[in-house]
Amino acid sequence: MIKSIVKTELAIYFRNLNSIFLPLIFFFLILSVFPLILGTDKILLGKIIPGIIWITVILTTLLSSNNFFRDDFKNGVIETYLTSDASIELVLFFRIVSCWVFTCLPVIIFIPLVSLLFEISFQNSAIILLTLILGTPVLISIGIFGSALTLGLAKNNILTPVIIIPFYIPVLIFSASAIEAVSIGLPFTMQIYILLALLVLVLPIMPYLLKYTLELSINN
Amino acid sequence: MNISKIANLRFFYTRTESIAFILSILSFLLFCIGIYWGLYIAPTDYLQGDSYRIMYVHVPAAWLSLQVYIIMAFSGFIALVWKIKIMEIASIQCAPIGAFFTIIALITGMIWGKPTWGTYWVWDARLTSELILLFLYIGIMVLYSAFSDKRQAVKVTSLLAIIGIINIPIIHYSVEWWNTLHQGPTVTKFEKPSAHITMLLPLLYMLFTFNVYFLTVFIKRVRLGIYLREKNSKWLEEYLND
Amino acid sequence: MTNNIEISVNSAACYKNNNIIFKDINILLNNREILVVTGPNGCGKTTLIQSICGIQNLESGHISLNKVNIQHQECNYLENILYIGHKNSLNDDLTVLENLDYLCAFDSSADSKDTKLIRKSMEYFNISKYEDYMVSQLSEGNKRRVALARLFLTKKKIWLLDEPLNNLDDETTKVLIKLFIRHQDNQGLIILSSHFDLSKELNNVKIFKMENQSD
Repeated sequence: MIKSIVKTELAIYFRNLNSIFLPLIFFFLILSVFPLILGTDKILLGKIIPGIIWITVILTTLLSSNNFFRDDFKNGVIETYLTSDASIELVLFFRIVSCWVFTCLPVIIFIPLVSLLFEISFQNSAIILLTLILGTPVLISIGIFGSALTLGLAKNNILTPVIIIPFYIPVLIFSASAIEAVSIGLPFTMQIYILLALLVLVLPIMPYLLKYTLELSINN
Repeated sequence: MNISKIANLRFFYTRTESIAFILSILSFLLFCIGIYWGLYIAPTDYLQGDSYRIMYVHVPAAWLSLQVYIIMAFSGFIALVWKIKIMEIASIQCAPIGAFFTIIALITGMIWGKPTWGTYWVWDARLTSELILLFLYIGIMVLYSAFSDKRQAVKVTSLLAIIGIINIPIIHYSVEWWNTLHQGPTVTKFEKPSAHITMLLPLLYMLFTFNVYFLTVFIKRVRLGIYLREKNSKWLEEYLND
Repeated sequence: MTNNIEISVNSAACYKNNNIIFKDINILLNNREILVVTGPNGCGKTTLIQSICGIQNLESGHISLNKVNIQHQECNYLENILYIGHKNSLNDDLTVLENLDYLCAFDSSADSKDTKLIRKSMEYFNISKYEDYMVSQLSEGNKRRVALARLFLTKKKIWLLDEPLNNLDDETTKVLIKLFIRHQDNQGLIILSSHFDLSKELNNVKIFKMENQSD
């Protein structure tokens, strides 16, 4: 069964090349807008670039996970999930992972390039990369949860992000704090442990929570 | 089973009419006493002068904003698991009340901030957590209003409230923790003062008063919720015509 | 070996948005029986079938399988039912074959590795030529045939179908009725909603008429 799901997810993503490239392009687009607005003062940019990268990543994950279940709801796939005796939690877990692989992983892979473009020091880029690797799966999971909550709602344009962003804040704060600590030279292990803890707590629970939420929201 | 669920709402609606009225008079009186106590009787602070008195509104408002969220999440949980109608109504009616208290806490916090810190807003742990709490409340209210089926709306918002309650301590500690990296312990002086009994007593009294006020508004809002839901049912029409 | 199945709906009532969709519904159905839920548009047929699946919550009353409430774990309800709703539950980005393969993965009684059987089901519904077509390229009627192809592949005993005969051409209708008869012979039972009178083509048909509650 797992083979079938994995095969299907890969097929869906690869056939829709938009889904792979658009998040990446969006990321670079927003990233480029910041220096246009804030000016090219290298020292200023150097100070705030980790924040800029994180804000852009938040926007990217929000937009990517916002409509996760929209087509599934429209096509009746959710009803198949809920009337099936297969392990739906496993299916959802793989879907979360594949969403992350195809929307966040490209961004993460291109972070070294971003570091070159913005002249970020090696330690700073390393910590930015680490916090992104630990934080983005959590962000994607929460975004998908938001999509499940607002299943089938017609006027759903900006509603889901409004509901979901407060839940992003802990990840943001600890990532920002870790990056700041590294740039001053203070220890950052505590923040990394907390990010790791968040990841380890959220990711396994999310499939179960998602299934429950889908059962609630299917009647929307 | 069905009958008892409806009777629940009817029982509540018919029996609480006079209670709501009495409580509103009581709240008003308690507030009057509280204003007098806080503004005149309580002593002037040695450090902050008289500007600290806003604390008598700020601290209870902040406390209640959290308390109401917990009540909202708790009644939402009962509504989800046991499907008790009155809990559904109670849960969603807490949201605007809680948001109101949060806004009061924020505004009074800003008013307090100007004379004490010289600025209206500081990104300290408490105020930032309050702000995020406000966003949580707004999120719940906005989610509720996006549904046309209100009973379905309550289920979804209850789930959101319950998940939010896990988030609140995480947010609070993360902001507090983030903040200690930037500012020293000066922030702690403006939290609940480890103060003299003459200052502490009116604070506790105001906390009690705010709770009475919350109870009044809560009962009235739940009655409103019942009215809106049962508008077309016979028992309500008969009762209102009497 | 008793393979007796009995589905009972006991005093079921369902509300949506504070409006009554249906109430006091009582149904008893056994093996080899077909229940046709019929009634005017908007009388709650889809809601009833969805509540029998467990997707839609009941305000009061309960559904039982062999006297065990379907909400209880020991009932293993989902192991026995197959639901095909109004919507086709197909993925637009996959081909017909891939879709059926994916849908089989959700059906524990269907062997998703058996590609030959999947091809046979497509043959049965006359959509073999669309095997490698994307579902988005098919007409609505053909999409419906793909959705119904699951009925050929499953071995589950209880079929819950929402308006399966709608918008089908004569040929597909005949083929579907044959499938129903085969299912009946295998001791299965079917609950479906329809505007058609199936008692001419099928045996053991019970008709359940629903009415609009908002009148």
